[in-house]
Amino acid sequence: MKTLFINGSPKKRFCASSYFLFLQRLFVGGDKVTEHLRTRGDYQRILDQLPGADAVVFGVPLYVDGIPSHVMGFMEEMERSCREKGLHPRVYAIANNGFIEGKQNEPLMQLMENFCRRAGLTWGGGVGIGGGVMLNVTRILYFVQVGMLILNLLFNGISTGDFLPVGPLQSFLKNVLWLLYLNLGVLFYLIRMGRAVRKREEAGKRYTRILVPSFIFILFADVFFIILSFLEGGMFRGWLAKKVPDR
Amino acid sequence: MHIERKEEYYVKLILHDLGEAFAELLTRKSDHMINANGKYAPCQGCFSCWTKHPAECFMKDELQQACRRLGQADELIIITKNLYGGYSTPVKNVLDRAIGTSTPFSTYRGRQMHHTLRYGRKGLWKVIVYGDITEDERTTFTYLAERNAVNEGYERSEAVFLDDIARLEAVL
Repeated sequence: MKTLFINGSPKKRFCASSYFLFLQRLFVGGDKVTEHLRTRGDYQRILDQLPGADAVVFGVPLYVDGIPSHVMGFMEEMERSCREKGLHPRVYAIANNGFIEGKQNEPLMQLMENFCRRAGLTWGGGVGIGGGVMLNVTRILYFVQVGMLILNLLFNGISTGDFLPVGPLQSFLKNVLWLLYLNLGVLFYLIRMGRAVRKREEAGKRYTRILVPSFIFILFADVFFIILSFLEGGMFRGWLAKKVPDR
Repeated sequence: MHIERKEEYYVKLILHDLGEAFAELLTRKSDHMINANGKYAPCQGCFSCWTKHPAECFMKDELQQACRRLGQADELIIITKNLYGGYSTPVKNVLDRAIGTSTPFSTYRGRQMHHTLRYGRKGLWKVIVYGDITEDERTTFTYLAERNAVNEGYERSEAVFLDDIARLEAVL
């Protein structure tokens, strides 16, 4: 039993799609292969992985309410390849978007479903995730928490001789549980879909999001972009201006 | 890539994947035109068109300022071959590279979160779809056009399906 995971994010590293595919892989057994689809140059390498794959799980970001163009191009080639070689893997999708509503991934899911019909493949369903970028940040925060705990224990141990103080451990546990809570909806639906992938069953379309109120999410998103635009200098280059074409 | 802009008029931009076919007709019917020829690099998802060089892509090709062209338009007409109920790969490439029409800030539109608009509200988001298409794909395309219109700040959307591309002039 082989499952092919295709990361359709064009980003080289640290993309939300890779985070969700990593989580999904935890709940799928058997032979697992992950490929990163960034450019046309990746097409053939990934197409070569299709023979023998019982299931294909796409992890894609939502671009302009749909599938990124380089993934659409790949799907055209995959349709051709599957028809020529008589391949019929079951297709699943994990879509994520920067907005908070997971439901905004619905057009992407419909495109995937239509693709399966065209290519003679079986649509297995998918999970649409809102707040993908912020959820991706939580994985850094896990490591930050672990790093801070180790430093805290070391300093405390050296200065007092107690290497297992209750306070820092409680604080660590509280913070990790909080991060886990933000991911609960995603984990729940990925566990469900993982079971469907294992059994080669239909998972249905499910939508979830980071578990925070949307007005708080928007506040954090705005602060994130303010800091980023300050650091990258866009804030000082007509940040919100109605720019006209100059060439 | 573009035709001289008629400042005093309602500006109409045509984005198409027809190559040189219908060039005269499209030129006559538009103020600006973008030919999605499939030769452009895809979006890299870096957000630098929001955070580093506003309304400009870091890739120095003909699409570098595509969002500014789209921003100038009051009406956008997209002529595209159907692909699974969505835009053809070359057309989607242009749309992906043009997210600088919005800003990084967020707001609510249609009771959902969207980015605020760099160029303000627009008129019509019209999609003219040609090529073989199923009923399910028509439904998806109509829905996709509606979603795009909300997301990009257009007042309304329209999806027209052409059985025969020779009828293009009648729907422009």
